[in-house]
Amino acid sequence: MKLIGIILFLFSSWMVASDHSHDHMDHSDMMHHSHEGHAHEELVDGEKLEVNPERFDKFVATLSNAQVAVVSVKGMVCDFCARGIEKTFQKDKNVKKIDVDLSQGKVLVAFDKGFDINFEDIKKKILANGQNATGMQIVSI
Amino acid sequence: MGMYRYILFFYIIASINIEARPISYSGGSTLMMFSDNMKDSIYYHFSPTYKYSIGIESVKDNYLNNDYSLLRATYLINRKNTQYSQRNLYINAGLSINDTSNNFYGIHGDWETRRWFVGFGFKKLNNKIIDYDQKHLQLGVAPYLGEYGDLHTWLMIKTKKNSLNDDWYTYPVLKFFKGNVLVEFGYNDETEWDAHFMYRF
Repeated sequence: MKLIGIILFLFSSWMVASDHSHDHMDHSDMMHHSHEGHAHEELVDGEKLEVNPERFDKFVATLSNAQVAVVSVKGMVCDFCARGIEKTFQKDKNVKKIDVDLSQGKVLVAFDKGFDINFEDIKKKILANGQNATGMQIVSI
Repeated sequence: MGMYRYILFFYIIASINIEARPISYSGGSTLMMFSDNMKDSIYYHFSPTYKYSIGIESVKDNYLNNDYSLLRATYLINRKNTQYSQRNLYINAGLSINDTSNNFYGIHGDWETRRWFVGFGFKKLNNKIIDYDQKHLQLGVAPYLGEYGDLHTWLMIKTKKNSLNDDWYTYPVLKFFKGNVLVEFGYNDETEWDAHFMYRF
């Protein structure tokens, strides 16, 4: 029973810490909201971006002189399972920012504008987490 | 022998699905803690690739007043990813460091979407007292679909049976996860509360 108490304490502490962290992130995003460009409404190679518009706009709000790879991923059905994708991309120094759009099955990865995005490398990183990347669109910000 | 059967019976019923999320991402590791009225357990595993994990589990048996450690391994033998679902099939095994006659092997699998979860498992356990097997089925539904970073909730029901007793035991399980943390709580009339904590590094 002692361990149950510890488990409850750890989880509640984590929840409080996460909420504080989230508050800071929201504040930061709001500070840069004047840069909002509704990039999700753009057509990429004649195809509309299938992303969560609100999430995408929030993602790009703090970016400039960047390009975003919108990667379609199969098997990404759970937040906890997608955590490894974020951790893997964060190890790459060329990645400026990353987010996961669970509702659309997309991973958003921001790079500097001049960087040569390699889909094969992205596929390998997604596969390292056990999922399959099936396509990619690149949006300039 | 009857007393040992009784103890083992409750030991099995008490155990919840510690095999959940048995493999991490390539290079990732996971810490799990499990507790109920029968045992406290800490399990750490490392995944060299997304295909398998190796780890060690330290078990404090509160009922038998016995401590032991298991070397454990899990291998993903099949995975099917689709746009809206993932299906997995795993095999696993464990061996006590102190006594090799204390070991287990098994198979378990799951299929899940963002809304639904179905899981099953079969495990054969061997030790000096008695060999037995156990099987389980687990169904779950997410009452709402959270986005990445939100608090996620699962309402689940689990049913279990072992070779020492022919009855199925069914009980509710609540699962929450947010970020790298997952907790699971289950309740059974016989064993009362149990809890499972997981942190993914």
